[in-house]
Amino acid sequence: MFFRMIKGTLLRQWKKMLMIAFTIALGASLAAAMLSVMFDVGDKVNQELKTYGANITVVPKASSVLNELYEVEGGESTGAYLREDELGKIKTIFWAFNIVDYAPFVNVSGELDDGSEVRVVGSWFNHHMSLPTGEELDAGIAGLRSWWEIESGEWLDEQADENAEIAMIGTALAKKLNLSVGNTLHVKGSAGDKNFRIVGIFDAGGEEDDQIFAPLNPVQALANLDGCIDSIEVSALTTPDNELAERAAKDPSSLTVSQYEIWYCTAYASSICYQIQEVITDSVASPVRQVADSEGAILEKTQLLMILITILSLIGAALGICNLVTASVMERSSEIGLMKAIGAQNGAISGLVLTEIFITAIFGGLIGFFAGFGFAQIIGHTVFGSSIAMTPVVIPIVAILVILVTLAGSIPAIRMLLRLRPAEVLHGGH
Amino acid sequence: MKKRQMYFRMITASLMRRRSRMLVALLSIAIGATVLSGLVTIYYDVPRQMGAQFRNYGANMIFTAKDEKFTLADVQQGVSLIDADAVVGVAPYRYENVRIHESPVVVAGTDINGAQKTSPYWHIEGEWPSADGQILVGASLAENFRLRIGETLEVSYTPSEAQEGQETILDNILEFEITGILDTGGSEEDYLYISLADLEALTEESGSIDIAELSISGGADELSAYADTISNSVSAVNARLVKRVTASETTVLSKLQALVLLVTVVVLALTMICVATTMTAVVTERRKEIGLRKAIGASDSSIIKEFLGESMLLGGLGGILGSVLGFVFAQQVSIHVFSSTISFMPALVPITILVSILVTGLSSLMPIRSATEVDPALVLKGE
Repeated sequence: MFFRMIKGTLLRQWKKMLMIAFTIALGASLAAAMLSVMFDVGDKVNQELKTYGANITVVPKASSVLNELYEVEGGESTGAYLREDELGKIKTIFWAFNIVDYAPFVNVSGELDDGSEVRVVGSWFNHHMSLPTGEELDAGIAGLRSWWEIESGEWLDEQADENAEIAMIGTALAKKLNLSVGNTLHVKGSAGDKNFRIVGIFDAGGEEDDQIFAPLNPVQALANLDGCIDSIEVSALTTPDNELAERAAKDPSSLTVSQYEIWYCTAYASSICYQIQEVITDSVASPVRQVADSEGAILEKTQLLMILITILSLIGAALGICNLVTASVMERSSEIGLMKAIGAQNGAISGLVLTEIFITAIFGGLIGFFAGFGFAQIIGHTVFGSSIAMTPVVIPIVAILVILVTLAGSIPAIRMLLRLRPAEVLHGGH
Repeated sequence: MKKRQMYFRMITASLMRRRSRMLVALLSIAIGATVLSGLVTIYYDVPRQMGAQFRNYGANMIFTAKDEKFTLADVQQGVSLIDADAVVGVAPYRYENVRIHESPVVVAGTDINGAQKTSPYWHIEGEWPSADGQILVGASLAENFRLRIGETLEVSYTPSEAQEGQETILDNILEFEITGILDTGGSEEDYLYISLADLEALTEESGSIDIAELSISGGADELSAYADTISNSVSAVNARLVKRVTASETTVLSKLQALVLLVTVVVLALTMICVATTMTAVVTERRKEIGLRKAIGASDSSIIKEFLGESMLLGGLGGILGSVLGFVFAQQVSIHVFSSTISFMPALVPITILVSILVTGLSSLMPIRSATEVDPALVLKGE
């Protein structure tokens, strides 16, 4: 009998019930969309911030300081190097998945035909790596120097032949020497000389505009530095630093065991640095504060902004649903009066009305959840060009929200109706 | 005149009589209007506020000399061409080779206050130098030479020419107190930093600088326009953009703004539909009343006018309430997220009110129409 009554209501008043379901669906979709976006916005913005380039640099322990200082004096470098054969290990650390891109650098000073000195930088451009995990990765400065503007020619493609004597040169140098794409440039190093064919001219807006960039092998050969690199730049997805991370960065041994574990297993810039130092012999990895700190600040602000907007829309959705449920229950005053008049118990009436509303709410909530997830995908694809990850925790949050809001909307209305006297309600007076 | 008075009395009386139901409807309209005005305010304010955050990345324009050197006056002339509100910080730098513990190092003379603003990411252990005779030491230098905060550091500089009346070149030596150690993860860690005045005292040469760093808020187009104007009108200075910072900022900022825009559109659309369904429910409830009016001889148009007037009045009230609440919300967001206030946008108030009136009006029109089309007898009977 109970079910027949519910079925009757749902079928007879399907228009009204559809409207309630529609409103609940709207509210649920709003909640689901905003929550999904909110939970994923950190990762998405973090990816975008990678355009600022590396946030970690790795240099040899026997300090690179002297290297740079002596170069200011016009001399050669000091002899402390990292090993090229260890580069692959960076992709084997605990947070390997968070390492988006990296590139080694070797700096050699060369002499041009006119006697002037030039800095030749050896690096990866689009170095292809097949990792033991089965992952395929193209690493190098094509990703790490995304702000370079290629004025003519194209990005150097080192995958064809990594010993090829090809190079990209900065726009300032190109102008000075009056070179264009296709020309060859003769560079004499301390241990040999090379003829680089120019494949691209770039505008970096900095000191790199005066430099020559070429693949590692020919540059190492210029100064007899086979297998040696000066520094590694790493671009990693990191979590903004907190007090623990700052303490750990100074001295990891000052932490308790559990703190150490938390730190080591969180993607702080400092813990990733620490893990890189563990795999690269005699290295010092340090966060580039300009990038790492700013990333942290922007990430936090964006997340906070999204949280507040989400809260506003949740409140809006909740009130909208609440309103409509109250209105629809109040509307049924005469029906409830009739039931009371023919002897229905208060509990039975409440149970009936609540069950009806909940069937509608579940129906609407389900549709709304999927619609909301669709909205989140639209946002993800339009803004970030990638889909928003499904966060499982969104499901219970939306479900609880819908249940609570429906209850909050219907219970006061039902209680009010139960207090009414059947005769008055049926008569139509208020 | 009488008729209009009666009209208003009917509308207000109807609202007052059904106070609790109308309050609920008003609340829902106000929430809709709050979302509208709050999110639109945030949308317009995000680029400015986020732009300020992006200044954490440091200088986005540098001045270099067209010839050998340029002076502080040239820098000031260049800065005066930029909108004063947009300038976050300016720091001139002059580099010299000096010796500490008989080893060659590079010292940079700068405006310490300016450097704090153009390089907010500098991590200082200890304190920034605040007076003459104080020095900031890069972290790698501090480690190599075992320098500690509070110690005195002797810096010697060899002038290129002997002073008048002397035959040999004598070193100028000054003592500095180390106030802080600089950690940036970049090449700054290899330098010493002192105030420009100290460097001039050490070298006994004044006036010229090598480079000036500027941190300016604004989009890439604005910045390159500034750079062009400055390069053209200040003869000694070549203004260049730090591409790494400007190009990346444009990419990320435009994404963020698109994100807020899309979120605003989705939230707005859904909230407006919510408002509309509530209004529809409120009007549908009153079919009986409409039937009664028709039965005692009211014309369809007068019923539509009255009900529409009622909903639009409600919409207007909700709109006013919503513009106030929306501004409060946006202000709170701004204070909590960006720790700064936002300016009130007067144009948004009429827009918010207009939109709420339109939404409520349109959403009640449909059910009123369908109620007036029905035979009054049927409506009154309850079918």
